[in-house]
Amino acid sequence: MNHPASEALVDPAVHEKIMAEAERIKGWGEAAERFARDEVNQPTINNWLEAMGLDNPRFKAGEAPPSMAQVWTMYGLGGRPSEDDPLHAMMRALTGAGFTAVLGTNCEQSYDRYLEVGERLRVTTALDSVVGPKATGMGVGYFVTSRNTWYVDHPDGRGERVATMLFRVLKFIPREKTS
Amino acid sequence: MNVGDRLPEWSLPITPTLVVSTAIATRDFQDVHHDRDIAQAAGSKDIFVNILTSTALCERYVTDWAGPDVQIRGISIRLGAPAYPYDTFTFSGEVTSVEDGVATIKVVGSVSLGDHVIGTVTVAA
Repeated sequence: MNHPASEALVDPAVHEKIMAEAERIKGWGEAAERFARDEVNQPTINNWLEAMGLDNPRFKAGEAPPSMAQVWTMYGLGGRPSEDDPLHAMMRALTGAGFTAVLGTNCEQSYDRYLEVGERLRVTTALDSVVGPKATGMGVGYFVTSRNTWYVDHPDGRGERVATMLFRVLKFIPREKTS
Repeated sequence: MNVGDRLPEWSLPITPTLVVSTAIATRDFQDVHHDRDIAQAAGSKDIFVNILTSTALCERYVTDWAGPDVQIRGISIRLGAPAYPYDTFTFSGEVTSVEDGVATIKVVGSVSLGDHVIGTVTVAA
């Protein structure tokens, strides 16, 4: 298919390579599975409540704030995504093609239920879509959307989905500064 | 909750302490959220509020209004202008739909540079 507008933005050979890599990584499905370092715990909840200035007795009585879902599986200081992490694999591919800058644009979280102190989360990452090239105010780039799914595993072997997140970034070539 | 209900406006000064303490509390150690030299070398005016905190402040804003028993089902945000220290967040919000037991609240958190976060918070109605 011919996309004259796109061809003007990015070399067609480069674009094809990017989209082929996107398809390859999408094929990994839910990948890079890993567990939270810690169980959902009160001290980490308390630090978050203090920083956010949120006061809710429920979060002193065994429940965790819903938007903390992502916090439990953050990599932590010095932590790094694995080579098989779909989002980071796609970022590497785009960086290699010259799209060196990154900007978060959308984050859509859904919570199946509130988490409870003592639960340990497992998370997977999938590449959802790569859309572009687009000319934006920041420069020419691709929108990369990944999907995280969080689970709590039960003793009977059932993995219960507890939260999901669609996260979109613009991976772009910074525009030349005009002085 | 009824369509058209407005949330009271909420202002929050963005101090360096807010930016750093919320980044660390969300276990986000990216240097642009706590090291001004590195943030500026990367072309930013200063350190800036991280995305997990933009989401969390939407949670707080809606919870402060709806009460502690509110059951939040989801928070979707679109990110705009960066939130730098010495600026101020101004949050506004409105219930935009109530159907099938779910209320949708549109939330906007703006800074001097424009809208920082445009969010949709869904709660059990």
